[in-house]
Amino acid sequence: MEQGIDLQSTFVDALMDLGVPLGSAKALWLPLPMFLILVSATVSIFVTVWLERKISAAAQQRIGPEYAGPLGSLQAVADGLKLIIKEDITPAKSDPLLFTLGPAIVVIPVFLSFLIVPFGQNLVITDLGIGIFLWISLSSITPIGLLMSGYSSNNKYSLLGGLRAAAQSISYEIPLALAVLAVVLMSNSLSTIDIVQQQSGYGILGWNVWRQPVGFMIFWIAALAEAERLPFDLPEAEEELVAGYQTEYSGMKFGLFFVGSYVNLVLSALLVAVLYLGGWDFLIPIELISRWTGISESTPWLQVITASLGVMMTLLKAYLLVFLAILLRWTVPRVRIDQLLDLGWKFLLPISLVNLLLTAALKLAFPIAFGG
Amino acid sequence: MLNFLKQVGDYAKGTAEAAKYIGQGLSVTFDHMRRRPVTVQYPYEKLIPSERFRGRIHFEFDKCISCEVCVRVCPINLPVVDWEFDKASKKKKLKHYSIDFGVCIFCGNCVEYCPTNCLSMTEEYELATYDRHELNYDSVALGRLPYKVTEDPMVTPLRELAYLPKGVMDPHDLPKNSRRAGKLPEEILAEIKPESK
Amino acid sequence: MNLAEGVQFVSFMLLAGMMLAAALGVVLLENIVHSAFLLGMVFISISGLYILLNAGFVAAAQILIYVGAVNVLILFGIMLVNKQEAFKSMPNAWLGKLTTAGVCAGLFALLSSMVVATPWAISSEIAAGELSVILIGEHFFSDFLLPFELASVLLLMALVGAIVLARREYLPDELTEPTAEVFKLAERPRELAAAGSAKSDRGG
Repeated sequence: MEQGIDLQSTFVDALMDLGVPLGSAKALWLPLPMFLILVSATVSIFVTVWLERKISAAAQQRIGPEYAGPLGSLQAVADGLKLIIKEDITPAKSDPLLFTLGPAIVVIPVFLSFLIVPFGQNLVITDLGIGIFLWISLSSITPIGLLMSGYSSNNKYSLLGGLRAAAQSISYEIPLALAVLAVVLMSNSLSTIDIVQQQSGYGILGWNVWRQPVGFMIFWIAALAEAERLPFDLPEAEEELVAGYQTEYSGMKFGLFFVGSYVNLVLSALLVAVLYLGGWDFLIPIELISRWTGISESTPWLQVITASLGVMMTLLKAYLLVFLAILLRWTVPRVRIDQLLDLGWKFLLPISLVNLLLTAALKLAFPIAFGG
Repeated sequence: MLNFLKQVGDYAKGTAEAAKYIGQGLSVTFDHMRRRPVTVQYPYEKLIPSERFRGRIHFEFDKCISCEVCVRVCPINLPVVDWEFDKASKKKKLKHYSIDFGVCIFCGNCVEYCPTNCLSMTEEYELATYDRHELNYDSVALGRLPYKVTEDPMVTPLRELAYLPKGVMDPHDLPKNSRRAGKLPEEILAEIKPESK
Repeated sequence: MNLAEGVQFVSFMLLAGMMLAAALGVVLLENIVHSAFLLGMVFISISGLYILLNAGFVAAAQILIYVGAVNVLILFGIMLVNKQEAFKSMPNAWLGKLTTAGVCAGLFALLSSMVVATPWAISSEIAAGELSVILIGEHFFSDFLLPFELASVLLLMALVGAIVLARREYLPDELTEPTAEVFKLAERPRELAAAGSAKSDRGG
């Protein structure tokens, strides 16, 4: 099922017309989408930080950043510049190698996970067969980095924060994976493209939220916990642990943690959009619109509009979820560590198992609605 | 078995209740987003200090009789009164007077007890300096009057909560001459006077 | 050699070198925490080798299970156990070391002779690649059903054992006697422990 624009083949064909051999043309293409995704992930940090500060301000009846750029939109850039020129301190009697390596290990898997986030039919870096499973396995590397930075800081708050982060991350990975598994069960594939395809065709009615409401809630809660967002930000709980594993960090090493947490939030939101909210699908199926208006779907200009609409829809859904996360941040108080583990192991895990079983049963009973 | 089912039911009920409360909380937070910010945008907007605001102390050099009451009532004996006895007029003659506002707690005892009313509270509160010794005001600095917020063209003066009309919470865009809630002091005085007569 | 083969060769060399170096580090380093982190690197290199073999699912599972679970648990174990034990100097320590070296050398010789002697039949079949998930699933529920189920029973037993250990009511009563020592200060004052240069496992 090839539809929509294929930038890669167009690019390669154009280069081959210029006399470049096929291999080199493909090698020239390879870095382009990666670079684009890296840049857009970085830009998404600025957008998210701005949104977070402005929405937080609005929720607390403040104004928020105002003077750096129009409406304070360059505040995050200013913060980043400050972090870059700040002194990079390595605490006394720490382990300098692990101390430097820790933030990098936290950030790299998050950026790598963008490999499988689709923004359109062909707008994905790689359509891997293991797709969403790659994200789950990559996100399990992060606690190693957190433990590393917690241990090497030579600070008890850091160590406790690192241990908490690792405990939280491994306990919420299980409900997360089980919720994903239910979706995978319905779409018969781990590939993110296939998961979106399975939801498309009926517009908003075909989205997985309606078939997996419980899975959606579980996934969202677990994703918030994985990204250490506010109801679950115990690893950095400032009242108890100063700043957890970040306590001893300054300068750009702290900046890496900061970048990692925001990119992780955006990534989680994007994946919720892909798994449960129909990815790049518009509210009304595009085929229906083209049939109404009588324009063929393969019209070039319509394809361009469809593709850009797809990117817009993905980002819109993701940022709607980011907005929800920020709103939750100012609504729900932080849970205690035992409550957190109780919620993960005694509530989310059984519920997600039941959800998985129910999905399997429904798939057998109604193969039309639940993916035969 | 029935007991277990009841437990499961209770648990489910509790979960639904928790979800309901979180939803209520979210709606409250969401509702706050459409409200106007209550913060005062400080260098551009300033609150008008109330009548009894205890700000930086003003001192009138010529009224002072060097009695040192202010020093005695001060919790930390802060004012420095430098005088010498003038034999010709047989009076104390004040040479220097100073108060260090880096140490002063603005309790107002000196103002209260000053027999000649040469001390008074102003509405000045912007006492930030680069050097804390600059806060040690001598008699010249103490004699300066602060600039009024209401007369500053750079500043939008905002009324404090108690000076707003009844039911109004937002000091922005008030109609001019809008009356504060309750009676004014002079009105209360006018009411009390006929009664006492 | 075209571009893809070159990339494959270079990555294989890098991954193999990284794996061997990290594995040596696990054994030879004095700091046990460093060893544990290097173990994670060994696992990641192995998963990289799986990717080179076109087995993406196994590679991801390798990272998820070994790096994400096993290695984190090992680190947890190291960091939560803060037992300091002074090693007694054994009189004939060299004897034990010699025996260990002998056993290791024998094992190594055995394995390497096995590697050399075995006629390795390199399969000419094309790797399953993207379809591997389906194939693995089919194998799990047909010819590998028994090992699969046995593994799950094993995990269930581990789970039950963990619950038994964690539940207080199954502990013997003698241990729960309250003693006067409760009121003593449990921690002894200690100097700043260097995280990196600690000789033994201190766990921060």
